[in-house]
Amino acid sequence: MSNATSIDSVLVNAISRATMDVLKTMANTDVQFNGVAAKPDYEGTGDISAIIGITGESGEGMIALSFSTNLASLIVSRLLGQSPETITGDDRCDGIGELVNMISGNAKVSLSQNSGTPYKLSLPTIILGAGHSVASRPKNNPYLLMTFEVEGMPFHLQLSFKYR
Amino acid sequence: MIILSVDDSAVIRKVIRNAVGVLGHDFLEAENGQVALQLLEKHHPEIKLVLLDWNMPVMDGIATLKAIKSHPQFSAIPVMMVTTEAEKGNIAMAIQAGASNYLMKPFAHEDLLMRIMQTLEP
Repeated sequence: MSNATSIDSVLVNAISRATMDVLKTMANTDVQFNGVAAKPDYEGTGDISAIIGITGESGEGMIALSFSTNLASLIVSRLLGQSPETITGDDRCDGIGELVNMISGNAKVSLSQNSGTPYKLSLPTIILGAGHSVASRPKNNPYLLMTFEVEGMPFHLQLSFKYR
Repeated sequence: MIILSVDDSAVIRKVIRNAVGVLGHDFLEAENGQVALQLLEKHHPEIKLVLLDWNMPVMDGIATLKAIKSHPQFSAIPVMMVTTEAEKGNIAMAIQAGASNYLMKPFAHEDLLMRIMQTLEP
């Protein structure tokens, strides 16, 4: 079995590639990956976050994708081929939830291949509000904060994973 | 002719509706397998294809696929999985359960249309 450090680097690469691929393929949007930083806990970045749990025999964790309202509206508008002004709150929540689902699907495959054991994803949960927190988040475990950018607007993906 | 899209994401159902609009077929949608089976009961003679997500609340894609393929009136309707589920074992399970085609999300509109055409005209 791979050690945690090598799995982390494989995971980060898989997730950064998946994030760019999902937004390019589904929303015709180019994404720039600006880097990754280790954080002691979850940070409530953005106005809207979509969170998904990932569990398997060899570990468990969560992936959170966070956007400003404006960037979420822009991306969902491109998914739907509509103008951003027509995007409703329900559209934003549903669209961002589906994006984290697609990105996490790649993380799941990467984890399964590295550990040789299957992983499962939860259904996405949406949290609204600037500076929000996640009460049921993994605790006492570092978070990787990945920063991306679309047309000058940043968004973040946070990953926390604990190996058994 | 009706295409039935089964996905818990309303946005993805809209994306699929927009993409398949060029084919000129009527379109129905369901947010889970249970609703899909109700729509099949009502419209099955006209439904020519089911596009089916895997991970959904209430009734997931694999349970829905098995229900369709074991139903005497629905079993001949082709089912194409449209899902983020990429585990090889699960793809094999869906094909063994009777899925006619398997498209992974994310997908380009062109790929969705090509797979639909392949599935409708094997």
